[in-house]
Amino acid sequence: MHKALLAAAYLALSGLPALAQEVVLGAVVPLSGASATLGDDQRRGIELAVDNINEKGGVLGGRKLRVIVEDSGGRAPSALDAAKKLVTVDNVPVVIGEYSSGITIPVGQYLVQEGRVHLNIGSSSGKIRSLGDGSFSLIGLDNVSTGFAAQDVVDNKWKKAAVIVPNNAYGQGVAEQFQKAFSALGGEVVTTVMYTEGQTTYRRELQQMERSEPDVYVYSAYGKEAATINRESFELSINTTPWYAIYLSMCTSDADPKFIQGQYGLDLNYIGPDGAVYEAAYKAKYNEPFKTSFNGYGYDAVMMAAAAIEKAGSAEPKAISAALKDIGKGYNGATGDITFDADRQRSKQPYLKLKIEDGVQQR
Amino acid sequence: MVQFVVDVLIRAVDLALIAIGLSSVYSLIRFPNVALVQYATTGALLALGLQMAGLPLVVAAIVACALVGIIAVVLNVVVFERLLRAGSAIAMIGSLALSMVFSAIFLVTAGPRPKRFELEINPPLRFLGARLTEHQLISVGISVLAIAVFALILFRTDLGRCMRATATNSVLASATGIDTRKVTNTVVFLSGVMAGLGGIGLSVKGEMSAQLGLDMLLPVFAAAIVGGLGNALGAAVGAVVIAAAETMVTNVNFGPLFGETVLFIPAAYATAASFLLLVVVLLIKPYGLFVAEVKRG
Repeated sequence: MHKALLAAAYLALSGLPALAQEVVLGAVVPLSGASATLGDDQRRGIELAVDNINEKGGVLGGRKLRVIVEDSGGRAPSALDAAKKLVTVDNVPVVIGEYSSGITIPVGQYLVQEGRVHLNIGSSSGKIRSLGDGSFSLIGLDNVSTGFAAQDVVDNKWKKAAVIVPNNAYGQGVAEQFQKAFSALGGEVVTTVMYTEGQTTYRRELQQMERSEPDVYVYSAYGKEAATINRESFELSINTTPWYAIYLSMCTSDADPKFIQGQYGLDLNYIGPDGAVYEAAYKAKYNEPFKTSFNGYGYDAVMMAAAAIEKAGSAEPKAISAALKDIGKGYNGATGDITFDADRQRSKQPYLKLKIEDGVQQR
Repeated sequence: MVQFVVDVLIRAVDLALIAIGLSSVYSLIRFPNVALVQYATTGALLALGLQMAGLPLVVAAIVACALVGIIAVVLNVVVFERLLRAGSAIAMIGSLALSMVFSAIFLVTAGPRPKRFELEINPPLRFLGARLTEHQLISVGISVLAIAVFALILFRTDLGRCMRATATNSVLASATGIDTRKVTNTVVFLSGVMAGLGGIGLSVKGEMSAQLGLDMLLPVFAAAIVGGLGNALGAAVGAVVIAAAETMVTNVNFGPLFGETVLFIPAAYATAASFLLLVVVLLIKPYGLFVAEVKRG
C-alpha cells in the first residue's frame, strides 16, 4: 500500500508517465539574434533526423526519440542557462550545439565538466579541439577551412588581402589561421579588422580596410552583421573589389542579392554521396532548397547520436561517448564521410568553391 | 579629406539634434535628461512602425516626431516637474530610471534584432572624391534645416526671447509676465521633436535597434558638455568637435610609425575618443567651450 502510494506520487511528480518511454536529447542553437536564420536551419536538420528515426521505430527497442531545442539568443550567458536547464531539469545525455565558436566553447566546457556528450555542429575555432573527452566535432575546424580559402584566393591571383572577421574566438582563429596559410603561399594580409558584434554600422571598419588598397576582401561574418557589412560596402562602392567569403552561405543568408553580386567564397559541401535522400526530405518538408549549409550537421548529429545509443544499448553519456568513437570511423553522413581524429574532431571536410550570380550560389 | 568632412558631417548632425535638445532643456530646468536619448529611439521605432503600417516615410517621420514631442511634454509634466521639486539630482536619477523603462519597452515591442526602413539603396554619389548616398544627403539636409529653424526660433521670435529670458533668470522672467511653465513645455516639445528626428536620421543611414539611444548617450552628453551645457548652439559646435574627434581617431594611419603599411585604432574605440576629449575640455574649461549663463554670485 505504502509503496503503491509512493509510486503513484513519483509518477505524478515526474510528469507524464508516457515520457519515461522516450529517449530525450538536447540542443542549444541561436533561434534569435544575428545568427537566427542559421540556427533555425540547424533546427530543421535536427527535426528531420528525429522524424526519420521515429518513422523507423525509434531507438532502444521502440522508444521514441525526442530532441529539446533551446534558444541561445546568440549570447553566451543565455546559451549556458539553456545548457544548464537541459542537464539539470531534462537530464539529457547528449547536447548538440551551438553555432558561434565563442558560445560553443563555454557550452562545451560545461557539458564536459558535467560528464555529458557534446556534439559541435557549427563552430570551427581551433580551441574546440581542446574541450576534452566527451566533446565531438562533426564539422572541420578553422585550420582546414582557412587553408582551403587561402589556396583558392591565391589561385585567383589575388596577392593582397584585407580580412574582416568578428572579434570572438571564431574570428580570431580564422584571422590567425588565414594569415598563416596565406603568407605560406606567398600572399600578404595587408590589414586585419576584428569587428565588434551587434553594431548597427561597420562603415568605419570598412573605410579603414579600404585604405590598405587590397586586391581582395576576405571576410567571414554572421548573417545579419554580414548583411550590414555587405550593404555598407555597396554604399561605399568598395564592393567593386572582389569579396571572398569563408562560409559563403553564412555570410549571405540575410543579404540583399544586389549587394553580394559576384562574391566568391567557399562553403561546406553539405551533400555527401548518400545525402540525396536527406536533401529530398528537406525540400519536401520545408518547400525550399537548403536555406544554409549548416542544417546537414544537425541532421548528422542526431543520426549519429541515435546510432551510438543503439550500439551502446543504453542512453548513458559514457556509453554513448565510447560508441561514438567507434561509429566515427568513416560514418556515412548526409554531409559526407565523418571520421574523427584522436581529438574527436572531424578530420576530413569537403568544401565547395562558389560564386554568387544574380543572388544564387553557382558552383 | 573631403570624405573626412562628409563623415564628420554625417555623424555630427544627428548628434547635434539630440545634444541641442538636451542643452536647451537644461538651460530652463537645470537637469540633464538622460531619457532624451531614448526619445531618439522612440522616434525611430514609431516611424518604423508607421511606415510598416503603410504610411510614406516622410509622413511617418513627421507624425513620429510630433508624437515624441508630445510624449516628452507628458513625461515632463507627469514625472519631471514633480521630481524637480525634490532637486535636480533626483530628477536626473529619475530620468535614468525612466530610460531603463524605455529600454525594456523597446525590447518587448521591437525585439533585440536591428531593423531597417524599407528604402531603395542605390550606388553612392561621387562628390569631389567623397562618397555619399542619396539617403545620407537628404537626411543630413533635413537635420541641418531643423537646426537652422531651431536657431531662428531661438534668436528671431518672441518664444526665443522668452526662452532666453527664462534661462537667464526665471524668477525675473516670471515677474515680467512670461509664463515660464508654458515656455519650458514648448522647449521640451521641441527637444522631443529634434531627438526623434535625430533617431530617425540615424536609422535611415544605418539601422534601428533597441540600443540606438543608449549608444548615443555618451557622445551626446559629451557634445552638450563640450559646447557648454545650457548653450543650445554651443551643443551644435560640440557635436561637430566630438564627431571630428571620433572620425579622426579611426582615420589616422599609425602604420608608418611602426613600420607597417596600415595600422588603425579599431573602430570600436571611437567613442573612447569622445570620452577623452570631454575630460580634456573639462580640465581646461570646466564650463565647456561656450559658457552660456551669466554667473551671478
